Amino acid sequence: MRRLSYRAIFAAVVLLAGVPPASAQVSFVGEWAGRYHEDQPDRVPGEEPGDFSGIPLNEAARRFGDAWDVARHSVLEHQCAPYTLPYMFFGPNQFRIWDEKNPDTQETVAIQMYLGTYQQRRTIWMDGRPHPPEYAPHTFMGFSTGEWNGDVLTITTTHIKAGYYRRTGVPQSDRSTVVEHWIRHGNLLSQVTIATDPVYLTEPYIRSQEFVLMDRGNTNWLYNCEYAMELPKDKNEVPHYLPGENPWIGEFAAKHAMPEGGVRGGAETLLPDWRPGAKPVAARAGVNGGFRAEDQPSKLAAGEVKMVPVQGNVHMIVGAGANIAVQVGQDGVLVVDAGTAAASEKVIAAIKALAPGKEIRWMINTTFRADHTGGNEPIAKSGRTVNGNIAAIVAHENVAARMIAAGIPDASRPYNTYFETSRDFPFNDEAVLIYHPESANTDTESIVMFRRSDVVVAGDVFRTDSYPVIDVENGGTTQGVIDALNHILDLTVPSKMLQEAGTYVIPGHGRISDEHDVVMYRDMVYIIRDRIKEMVGKGMTLDQVKAARPSLDYDGRYGADTGAWTTAMFIEAIYKDLSGNRKAGAAPSRSAR
Amino acid sequence: MQATHPSRGFRPQAQAACVCAAVIAAVIAIGRSDVAAQRGAGAPQGPQTARARGPVDFTGTWVSVVTEDWRWRMVTPPKDASATASIPVNGEGRKAAQSWDLEADNKAGLQCKAFGVGGLTRQPGRIRISWQDDNTLKLEFDAGTQTRLLTFDRAAQPSAEKTWQGFSRAEWEGPGVGRGAAPVGDNRVTGGGLPGAAGVPGGGGQGLRGGPPPRGIARINSGADIKVVTTNFREGYLRKNGVPYSEQATITEYFHRLPTHPNGDNWLEVITIIEDPRYLSQPYYTSTNFRLEANDANFKPSPCATAAPLPVKGGRAGRQ
Repeated sequence: MRRLSYRAIFAAVVLLAGVPPASAQVSFVGEWAGRYHEDQPDRVPGEEPGDFSGIPLNEAARRFGDAWDVARHSVLEHQCAPYTLPYMFFGPNQFRIWDEKNPDTQETVAIQMYLGTYQQRRTIWMDGRPHPPEYAPHTFMGFSTGEWNGDVLTITTTHIKAGYYRRTGVPQSDRSTVVEHWIRHGNLLSQVTIATDPVYLTEPYIRSQEFVLMDRGNTNWLYNCEYAMELPKDKNEVPHYLPGENPWIGEFAAKHAMPEGGVRGGAETLLPDWRPGAKPVAARAGVNGGFRAEDQPSKLAAGEVKMVPVQGNVHMIVGAGANIAVQVGQDGVLVVDAGTAAASEKVIAAIKALAPGKEIRWMINTTFRADHTGGNEPIAKSGRTVNGNIAAIVAHENVAARMIAAGIPDASRPYNTYFETSRDFPFNDEAVLIYHPESANTDTESIVMFRRSDVVVAGDVFRTDSYPVIDVENGGTTQGVIDALNHILDLTVPSKMLQEAGTYVIPGHGRISDEHDVVMYRDMVYIIRDRIKEMVGKGMTLDQVKAARPSLDYDGRYGADTGAWTTAMFIEAIYKDLSGNRKAGAAPSRSAR
Repeated sequence: MQATHPSRGFRPQAQAACVCAAVIAAVIAIGRSDVAAQRGAGAPQGPQTARARGPVDFTGTWVSVVTEDWRWRMVTPPKDASATASIPVNGEGRKAAQSWDLEADNKAGLQCKAFGVGGLTRQPGRIRISWQDDNTLKLEFDAGTQTRLLTFDRAAQPSAEKTWQGFSRAEWEGPGVGRGAAPVGDNRVTGGGLPGAAGVPGGGGQGLRGGPPPRGIARINSGADIKVVTTNFREGYLRKNGVPYSEQATITEYFHRLPTHPNGDNWLEVITIIEDPRYLSQPYYTSTNFRLEANDANFKPSPCATAAPLPVKGGRAGRQ
């Protein structure tokens, strides 16, 4: 009988052989290694400066690439930065794939990847979950969801950090998204990546790579990177070329007998109709849509206020004007910044929901601006110090002075002011460090660090939604902003030396960030400052400087033509700062010294 | 002791085993009836033509979008140390590439060597794809005015004479084969779709997540492809600059129509594997991307012609 049972089972298996599984039609499980039969000189040894061929980039990307100095990789915070997803599979790579199954249903919850290059871990969620909200952190691998289209696995990735489409400075913005299609034939995996980037591309950028299943594993899975200063120079120097000064532009075309127009890239050069010197083909309209409606990062509804966990004891409230940090523990609640007055009721409700029964003991203002301090009075009144007073508001003394000058009522102003460059105190069993940059966006800023939670609250020194506001009339300076950003970089330490996570940074506005996001922002301010400084040195007028578009390569990401802080205002602020054209009473520019 | 028919070896226990097996198989198969349905259950029985069996529509005019190997595809690369870069040539292949003589090719009437089946897909250009008959897919290339015929007829045989494009035997593979191509706009064709596309809740997300496909919703596909194996071709060039492939090579291709991109673009992906014992040291893999065009207005056939490389002005190549 036992033998018959085996036969029965065997026969059933044979009968079923013709019925394929219902899902996960193809397995990608295994260890795969790249084959570099396309663009090998670029993908393995590395690209040459000035080669933008084959990329549908825009003028902003060209400007960025023209300013690129390969020495940028020597900056401490860049030395160990991994490739981002749009480049990762193009470069040298091998990876391991395994499935994560739901133990009860055996359905595939996720496809997991470990990439030997930079020891990256990637999860492709297969359970239909939505993409994270817009204020969630970005990572080098992004957030990926997958779905089967027959035997093709289609993956959509959002929340990718800023990086490069080529290692020689062809930029990729943190607003890029990637759609991948994985196709397997035998032991060959073909991976098609289609990157969309409204900041630097005029249309989706498609590439495809091949990987071969390794029949004998590989032991080369670790990436040992230790960042260190290798030259005796200012560690905060950002190597770059000023416009027209990059000696390498043009060398690539000459060296490889390439038409000059072709190596400058652009969508028109990708089509067979392109000829050297031909009139550019008009960009296709409306093609830069990167991902589907359901893959869009969710946005806050109008008036919505949301509490988001950051790390350790620290949370972030979004939707109340400027971001608000909330630290919670046994001693009570500490709130950094207060948002707008209009949102204060919702903010208080969110804090009470997070920490029921706990009092708001302390508040800190990182600046005097109304989107950070508008809620001071109601939030302070909703709290109690241990002495029974309303919650104490700590700020640099310049905050109080600027608020008095602006006619802000007493009840909204901080009274626990400090005048030294730093202050610290313990709260909720962790050190709270406050640092005052002499003159950043204004002369009122404070940067706050929660040391045990490993979270920095940057205030408006760092924000992900616009250029920094440099309020020259209220003591702001360009160099002060750069110095303050450098100070944040001194405070942040990435996880495993791979430039991700570790210390998290809550920006004044925008999404949760980390050191990589701050260093890219610092580089941007530094480079634009240098360009305008050179123009000022040449005696150019403000109008001439604006016409030269010194921030062109970053305008698509941080610029604005309308609103409270436009690109023109940003350029003008730096120009005034550096040209000494400041109102009496404003702090002198250290950049211009 | 029960009697057993010696010649058939068929015993009551065996009968029980078969019944048991059938029951087990039926139970499990019922559980997968959704898959069976997707695979054409209820479809007309009997032999179908390749055109009728095909679940994906490849017809239309496709333009190559050259984002890879640009400097070796869009222009004729110089005959320098980088001439064979990326291609796994062996010593003989490298030697042959280094002896490339464009003028000699032109004088010998071999202008089409760079437009043979081994290199044609990599030439910038457009492909107009149509069904020549129910079992032959016709690929017209405007680059070099070349035509490839992909035959699905298993009885077809190559001609005695070798040609630039050789003899290509094609077969459908993957899910949905036999069900037939869905009409344009049907989700089964493209798998993706624009946000808000009708028919599937949620708008556009018409593929399958980790679980099995919903019963009764035939929305699989685009995962199917055409496998093509080409033989009987003349020796030619993998690149314009004379990197060779031999008549001994085997060329295998997979034609995929990718799920529609969220912006509405449709992509054809041609994966090519060339194995050449004479000139290559290992299989040569490429994947080439083509975008569907609205019409064939820009399909402009041109004769086989390779421009001379531009002069090298300096750098490594110039020092040779």
